[in-house]
Amino acid sequence: MTEAADLPEATRHRLEELEHGLFTSDLSVNEFLLVKHAGFHPLGFVMGSSIYHTGIQTRRWGKSQELTKLTEAMYNARELAMTRMEEEAQELGADGVVGVRLDVNYYEWGRDAAEFIALGTAVKAEDGTSYLNAQGKPFTSDLSGQDFWTLMQTGHVPQALVLGTCVFHIAHRGLAQTLGTVGQNVELPNFTQALYEARELAMTRMQDEANRLGATGIVGVRLEEKSHQWGSHTIEFLAIGTAVTKGTGAATLPVPTTIISLDN
Amino acid sequence: MSDVDHPEARDLPEATAAQVATDLPEAVGRRLKSGAWSSGLSVADFAACVSMGLRPLALVQGFCAMQWSAYAMSGGSPWGSRPTAGSPQGAGAPYASAGSGSGYNETWPCPHGIASIEHRWGGNYEQPWAEHAWSQGFGSAYTRMVEEAQEAGAHGIIDVVDTSRYLSEQSVIEFHVTGTAVAVEDSPAPPAPWSTYLAGQRLAKLFEAGFVPVSVAAAMSSVLMWPNCQTEYLLRGTGGWGYSYGGEIEQVINADTAVRRLARAAVRSQLGSDTLHGARFAVTRHTGNMGGHVVECTLRGTRVRRFKDFDPIPAARPTVRLS
Repeated sequence: MTEAADLPEATRHRLEELEHGLFTSDLSVNEFLLVKHAGFHPLGFVMGSSIYHTGIQTRRWGKSQELTKLTEAMYNARELAMTRMEEEAQELGADGVVGVRLDVNYYEWGRDAAEFIALGTAVKAEDGTSYLNAQGKPFTSDLSGQDFWTLMQTGHVPQALVLGTCVFHIAHRGLAQTLGTVGQNVELPNFTQALYEARELAMTRMQDEANRLGATGIVGVRLEEKSHQWGSHTIEFLAIGTAVTKGTGAATLPVPTTIISLDN
Repeated sequence: MSDVDHPEARDLPEATAAQVATDLPEAVGRRLKSGAWSSGLSVADFAACVSMGLRPLALVQGFCAMQWSAYAMSGGSPWGSRPTAGSPQGAGAPYASAGSGSGYNETWPCPHGIASIEHRWGGNYEQPWAEHAWSQGFGSAYTRMVEEAQEAGAHGIIDVVDTSRYLSEQSVIEFHVTGTAVAVEDSPAPPAPWSTYLAGQRLAKLFEAGFVPVSVAAAMSSVLMWPNCQTEYLLRGTGGWGYSYGGEIEQVINADTAVRRLARAAVRSQLGSDTLHGARFAVTRHTGNMGGHVVECTLRGTRVRRFKDFDPIPAARPTVRLS
């Protein structure tokens, strides 16, 4: 399996079984009810995986810089996992995938290699309306069933789970810089600047993805930071959220009601 | 801010870069001018935001990496140092430090009247240097977030979240403030955006109650406690000379009370004639760099102002959760 095009035999067999009416899903009962209420039926639990060698990249000790090779690796690996998951959803004839989770796992047997996994539940509109996104693919979203229902009530529809990543090396402070600030509480502009730039690059890339899809906005943006196995001065900044567009339907959001819970 | 080596920033047209607020990285301007908006709001908060007529514009953020030194001497003694020149901290800012007023100091003599290494005096001391450093870091990050919001043409910033954490190097703390910039539909932007920790239905209820948010208000206070011999015994679970003793540890109680009082006073000084909504205390304890116990208290809330009479809330419906 070199590209996203080929699904393993076991996957095809599992998906064929799902086509006979049985569905699997990681939705909770409440999520299942709300996805149904939003007019969608779960088709099956879908996943995509990619084991990727992330390698190394030389960096300058005293220079803040993006490590583009590592950024590309983290991007490509996630895209491969996502594409494979989308492909499984397409096999099922799904309109979208809800509750997508993107995980990264490291194993002892693979130094510098990581497994990127995308998991979610494929869903299809019960009234036959197509919800494929601007690229003709099933939409993907990390929203829970409850959030998916709420989003649909606002008159918006999900387009895709969009992400931006940036692996950045934060410069070490030199001896002169360190001595120059001894005994002071002062801002360290090199650190501030580097962290700022790295997060902005990740967020800009996420928004670029949304723009390419013609999305009007991104909800539920999360900014995650991990050093993985690169040491404390090299950090991956990941911005991730669900790109949405205004749907054709009007907002039908019910007026909230104040309640008193009688539970303990 | 100093330059950083990445190709995207260098490729920015000059005109675009010039539009960016001077203290912000170029990438900020590029992101804010892209077509799609982004928001850290949950979908429920987003739905409430749309219902209120607020339009999300962008996820806005500000950072400040601060060197955090116990021996800070910037402009005064270690116990009374003021922020360095150029700090965004100033009168009326929503992040005045706790150490602005008279300091808290309290000594605790040895109650046994015995002069020895074991029997010693103690004391509780406010640490203005830590309070000022916190307010400077928080203030810089907050100011940058507001600059981003202004750049996006925002009327306000909702769902503000502020965090601080140690970076890899010792004594370096990064302050990170994020929020979602919003615009009020069909209304001109005010000169400076308002900000609030609230979002979603909590914000909607605030409006219904007749209040508008003015800004977030936050302060950190810090007290260093050097236990005297009696406090030391009690913290170890004994009353001294081996016998157990049940009762209050007065020095600890006084430190805990003082740290909350100082934080409250600092936030109160930011409010003017407004009130604080959703106040949250967060107290942490750790060992001081030179020994002793440090108690730190952060108080956060939203400064609100009344603009209309209270709307009666409909009677609540009793419910039973079946799960």
